[in-house]
Formats: sequence, structure tokens, C-alpha cells
Amino acid sequence: MSLTKKQLYFLIIAGILLPVLCVVHLFSGQISIEFQDFSNSLFHYNNQDTNQIIVRELRIPRMLMAVIAGGGLSLAGLLMQTLFNNPLAGPFVLGINSGSSLFVAFSIMTGIPFLSSDFGIISSALIGAFSFGVLIMFFSLFVRSHVSLLLIGLMLGSFTGAIVFILQAASSSEELKSFTMWAMGSLQNTELSQLPIISSLFILGIIGSILLIKPLNTLTIGEEEAKLLGTNYKTIRLVIIVITALFTGLVTAFCGPIAFVGLAVPNLVRIIFKTQNHFVLIFASVFIGGAFILICDILIQILESSIHIPINAFTSLVGAPFVVLIVLKRLA
Amino acid sequence: MIEFKKTVIGHKKSPLISIDFLELKAGELYILIGKNGSGKSTLLNSIIGFNSLLSGEVLVEGKNITSFSKSELSKTVSFVRSTFPQTDYLKVDDFIALGRSPYTNALGRLSLLDKDIINNSIQTLKIAHLKGKFTSDLSDGERQLVSIAKALTQDTSIILLDEPTAFLDYSNKSHLHQLLKRIAHETNKCIILSSHDLDLSLDTNCSFLAINNSTKELHLVEAPAEKSALLNMAFS
Repeated sequence: MSLTKKQLYFLIIAGILLPVLCVVHLFSGQISIEFQDFSNSLFHYNNQDTNQIIVRELRIPRMLMAVIAGGGLSLAGLLMQTLFNNPLAGPFVLGINSGSSLFVAFSIMTGIPFLSSDFGIISSALIGAFSFGVLIMFFSLFVRSHVSLLLIGLMLGSFTGAIVFILQAASSSEELKSFTMWAMGSLQNTELSQLPIISSLFILGIIGSILLIKPLNTLTIGEEEAKLLGTNYKTIRLVIIVITALFTGLVTAFCGPIAFVGLAVPNLVRIIFKTQNHFVLIFASVFIGGAFILICDILIQILESSIHIPINAFTSLVGAPFVVLIVLKRLA
Repeated sequence: MIEFKKTVIGHKKSPLISIDFLELKAGELYILIGKNGSGKSTLLNSIIGFNSLLSGEVLVEGKNITSFSKSELSKTVSFVRSTFPQTDYLKVDDFIALGRSPYTNALGRLSLLDKDIINNSIQTLKIAHLKGKFTSDLSDGERQLVSIAKALTQDTSIILLDEPTAFLDYSNKSHLHQLLKRIAHETNKCIILSSHDLDLSLDTNCSFLAINNSTKELHLVEAPAEKSALLNMAFS
């Protein structure tokens, strides 16, 4: 597919915007930290210096998680939208998040130490996302209308929500607190030592998506047309579900359920770039998705002195009205 | 080019068309006619393997259609469906270029040859003025021309078209029939199109495939076909 000069410039701008916002994000926060402390914390780390500890243990993980959450969920949303040929699809509305939530709730509230460990929570979130991805794919075989699939996704969400409520009612106050903290969504729950594995999985997902550019481009004109062009639909569909589950499970495990980013950002990207070329859409979704969560989190930190807003609440506040706008535009 | 041997086509357990033996040649345009619901689309879908046969076989270039790999099939048969994808922000050029997908590398990069073929199909259908437009902004008739350009770009020896002229105006309809006939002759392709426009199709002076409404058989009527014979066979 074609790539115009204008699209390339926009892509470069988005690619520059992301690291700039990363730096702004690192310097935002209650305590002001000198540039010297930043470079020291990276190159001459002194584990007695409070500022350096803040940079290394808090700010860098939080900044990277913002990029990974925004980029990962946006890319997952893009893949879902292309697979189901439905611009209103996304990991949250299709209930992929709720799969993670359900499995995480189970593993935290069963009280079994292995399951409520980091590893246990991450694996449950990934398995939950994947099984709900397969479930929604199964339903997609029977429903032809865009809206029906979204309704099924929302029903999946309500259904698992009810089960989670029952689990909460039956669990101890300690487990309840742990789950509620997780469900509020936060970019601060990640430790420096967990970042290598999270970043590797994130990059793996991006590489996987890049390898799918050609089949994704054929899928923009629908499943049947893609098959006529020689696309191996069943294999591609499975790979897309795996990558989507990887991103959604990863982000949900560490940051809790974050709504609307996966739905809103790919639509914003298509409005800006006006293309179906997935080379552009994939990179732009990662850049703009990462930038979006960074901006949200910078604003959260600015407002923090007067009010504490969880990241999940913030993305919904911004994302939900945007989605309504998209729907109105499509109806018009 | 295409051979049917004791083929029965239909949905689940209700047969729609049976063909004892029929061979369709390269270099010919065939117009498929039949009543509504007689199985025209089902027949076309069976040739590309979207619809499994109830019995018998369909051979393409001597090889059973079910033994084709997906990639081989996409280089042998192209299909212009009667519906057009509802996709936002898809440029006409990009849509037509997708026809080269069976030939491009894993990243979908277009070679100079690919670009030549794309430009040729755009020239052939005289739709250069649509380049750069979004497919969502086209009229139904323009979409049909663009879909046909994509099928030509796919460069297959067989082209199937499901009512490609339904939304075209009179001059475009007759022009398209003549064009497809010429393409079939010049590039030695086998082209089958289904149509409801009998008079116009007769003017094209090509062979007909008529689905007999009472016996459910598919008949080949070689050119020049007579209107009364076709009417008797397919619409009595």
C-alpha cells in the first residue's frame, strides 16, 4: 500500500513526540529532581541517594509502563478492529480485558500463594485474555453484524463482572484490598526488576504485528476478499488473537484494566493518517497510544496534589466521549 | 480450462445445479444466466472452492480445485463479488494494488512490474480519474469498475464476476461486456460473468451458460445464441 510524504512526516513527528513526552513524564511528579540525579541514577547509581532511588525505582518503571500500556493496548485494538473488520472493536469492548480480570480475581482470591504471586497473576491474565479472545472469535463465526459482536463482548464483561463481585463478597479483606488496588489500574505497581521481561514481551508483540502487515492489509477488505488474495485466514486469525492476548494480558496484569485506549487510539490514528496501510497504522498506534497514556499520566501527576485519579478512570473520561464522537460521525 | 465432471452444486443437502460433463475454454467469455435463486452465485463460489461440491469434481487446468493451495488458487482464479467492502480511508490505488498480494513478498512490497500491471488495469478500465479517491466516496458503478480492475491486477487465467454490471449505466454495461470479451480473447483467459440483462448479453455475441429451471441442469449455448432458446431454457 502507498505511503505518502505527508504520512511519513506525521509518522516521524509522532516518533519524535513519544520520546519527548517520555522525558517530560520523567521530570513531572511531586518531587522535583535535577537532571544530574537522572544521569547519576542511570550511570553512577548510588542506592543511598533518595532522588536517585525515586528515579530508578519509581519514575523509570512508571514511564515505561505508560508507553507499554498505551502502545500495547492501541496495537491490540488495531489488530482486533482489522480482524473483525469493525472500527468499534477493541480489547475492552470485546471483553478480552474482562477475561484477564476474571482469571486474576480467581488467582488472587483463591488464597493459594503460588497463584497470587507475580508470576501467577501474569500467567492468569495472559491465559484469561487468550481464552476470552478465542471465545469472542468463536462467537464472531455466528454473528455477521458489527453491533452484535460488541454486544456479546459487553455481555461477557457484565457476566464476568458479576462473578468477580461474588468472588469479592466471599474473599478476605486482605485479598479484597489487593484485588481492588489492582482493578483501579495503576502504572506504579511495576518494579524495575520486572521491566526486562515486560519490555521483551512488548517488543515481541510489535515484531509479530510487523510480520503481519501484508495479511492485515488484505483483511481491510474483509475475510472473504482476503482469502481470494491467498491470505491464510485461519492461521492469521489465530496469530492475531495470540498477539492481542499477549498485549492485553500483559498490560492488564501489571496496570489493571484500562478502558477505551485500544478502541479510541487506532480510530484517532486512521483519522489523522487517512490510510489502511498497516505499516503506518501499527507504528502510529504504538507512538500515539504511548503518547496518550503519557499525557494522561502527566496530567494525573499535576492534579495529584488536589485529587487522585486512577489511570483507568482518566482514560475512560477522555476515551468514552471520543468513542461517542466516532459513532456520531459514522452515523452522519 | 475448467472442467465439470458429474458435478452437483448446492447448499447442504439441497442440490441446485447438476452438470454431467462440461468444458469451458480459455480465450472465451461466458455469460451465466438463470432465474433468481437458481444458483448462479453458488456455481461461481464452487469454482473458487468457497462452496464445497455435493458430488463430482471441478478441474481447473486439469487439476482438482480442492487440491489447490490457497496461494496457487489466488494466482489462478480471481473473483469479483457483487458486494463491495465498506472500508474507511482505503484509496482506490491501494485497493487495486491489493490484487498483487498473491505475488508480492512477505512485506507486500510492489515491484516495478507490479506497478506496471496495476497501471495497465487502471488504463484498461479507464478509471485513472478515480486514483487518489477513497473507495467510500465512489458510486456503486465506480466501485464495480474498481473491483474489476483489482481482479485484472490479480493476473489470473480465470476471472469470475458475480453480476458485475448491476449498477452500471447502459453505455458502461455494453462497453464492459465488449471489454471482457476482448480481454478473454487477447490474453487467453476464461471469463465467466453472471447477468440478469439478457438483451445486452445477447448483443455481446458470446457463449452462454444457462441454468435450466426445470431440470436443474447447466447448459452451454455456443454463440450465436438465440433469445427464444435461452428464454425457454432458463426462464420458462
